[in-house]
Amino acid sequence: MKNILLVCNQGMSTSFLVEKMKQAAKEKSTEVNIWAVSDAELHENWENADIVLLGPQVGYLKSNTEKVVGNSIPVTVIDFVDYGRVNGAAVLKTALEMIEE
Amino acid sequence: MNNSTKQGIADRFAFVAQKLGAQIHLRSLRDAFASIMPFMILAGFMTLINYVILEPTGFMGNLVHPDTLTTWQSIGVSIANGTLNIMTLLVAVAISYHLCVNRGYKNVIAPILVVLSTMIVVTPLTTTFSPEGSTESFIISNVIPVSYTSASGMFVGIIVGLLATDLFIKLSSNKKMQINISGNIPPAVIKSFNVLIPIMVNVIIFAVASFLLNQLLNMDFNTLISTIITKPLSYVTTSLPGFLLITSIANLFFGFGIHQAVISGALLDPFLLQNMQDNMLAYANHQEIPHIINMAFKDTFAVMGGSGNTISLLIAIFIFSRRKDYKDISKMSLTPSIFNISEPIIFGLPIVFNPMLIIPFVLAPIFSLTVAYFATAVGLINHVVVQTPWTTPPIISGFLATGGDWRASVLQLLIIIITVFIYLPFLKVDERVSAMQHK
Repeated sequence: MKNILLVCNQGMSTSFLVEKMKQAAKEKSTEVNIWAVSDAELHENWENADIVLLGPQVGYLKSNTEKVVGNSIPVTVIDFVDYGRVNGAAVLKTALEMIEE
Repeated sequence: MNNSTKQGIADRFAFVAQKLGAQIHLRSLRDAFASIMPFMILAGFMTLINYVILEPTGFMGNLVHPDTLTTWQSIGVSIANGTLNIMTLLVAVAISYHLCVNRGYKNVIAPILVVLSTMIVVTPLTTTFSPEGSTESFIISNVIPVSYTSASGMFVGIIVGLLATDLFIKLSSNKKMQINISGNIPPAVIKSFNVLIPIMVNVIIFAVASFLLNQLLNMDFNTLISTIITKPLSYVTTSLPGFLLITSIANLFFGFGIHQAVISGALLDPFLLQNMQDNMLAYANHQEIPHIINMAFKDTFAVMGGSGNTISLLIAIFIFSRRKDYKDISKMSLTPSIFNISEPIIFGLPIVFNPMLIIPFVLAPIFSLTVAYFATAVGLINHVVVQTPWTTPPIISGFLATGGDWRASVLQLLIIIITVFIYLPFLKVDERVSAMQHK
């Protein structure tokens, strides 16, 4: 079971993406746990995650987030076109590949 | 714009955002406001029920005896006491918590209690009272005046919350402040001793400072902060030009892909929230409404469909666009947009890094806020007095935020229609440019 954490300003817009990613995972019958939080809730959530995906609008928090997770898990900024077009399948694919590495 | 200049500008914006976004006090402030928002919304909900629906002079007065309505209102009044009237204390506690978390300090309860204690230490526990018809005024002691714990004292809450927490963390990580006990003593006991001195020193410092202020300047902490910080800053940030400027800079940041909250969350929201609370309290007490510009005012008139009033851009694309991909993205963005979430259209179309669309994205809110400001000032619509959730759909939000004034909804509709024509010429140029690029 892979755990994917999405972070944005209030966890609102990313939650739309979460739904699409879950759909994509279901279609591929991949077992994943995906959830979205606001950047203020990162501290309480990252320890349960295998990867942190930042919405592009909070991409400026990348170095800060890396500091918080202490390089124990990958942190990456979601491609802004995939994000805007709510391309759940593409984001899921990238995330799973990054966890594998 | 070629790609390297684009990258250069984006980097500069990202640099500023990183600095502002990572600044620990500003961050904690933003996080704290996110934590107290539900209480603001509860207060707003209560205000609507109490003073629109249960108002004895309103439509319900014909159905139910006015005295009965007044009795029912007391539920809402007690909720106002537990939210609006202690907002400063809620802010102070929330800030203390988030500052601890952001600093990675584990023993959060100690600084939170220190902050709460300090808040009362710096507050004079007396109030003056003059009976009706009497020129004499009496000093009542042993009360916590709500004028200090409600909206008007919010900056005291912010400053004490930040200062006392930081001071506590500094003191408690200083080895000299810790009591060394040897022997077979459980860790919990040692821990309680290790916070003892920092707590004492911390609260005493604030008590002495407050005493000196009183003796030397004949002033309390609250008055000092409101005179040197709140009033001048609030004058700049919530005057129409200052407000428009900060909002526009924030939206410009969004145009470069960085969430506008980086700017507005720290520089604007504290003042807008304070105005919001002032307005809600004044509305509840049937007093004159003090502020036009406040939190829900911005959301109601400048975040329709999301930042940049992008609901109008969606409409412009649906009616006038010839590009299939634009229409597809707009269809997909419609549901989030109804709840004022604009990221799909901002990043999907995209508006980001697209100067032709960034321009109307920044201009549209300047237009709508100016119109709404003057419409309120001349009395065409009621003041915005109710904190609504920012996800409340447009048209409905105007009605609710003004305490049930349908004219505000009409104004929202007019603004949406006119804004379509603000976006339209830029959309046309954008489509022409991209058509040329494709050839």
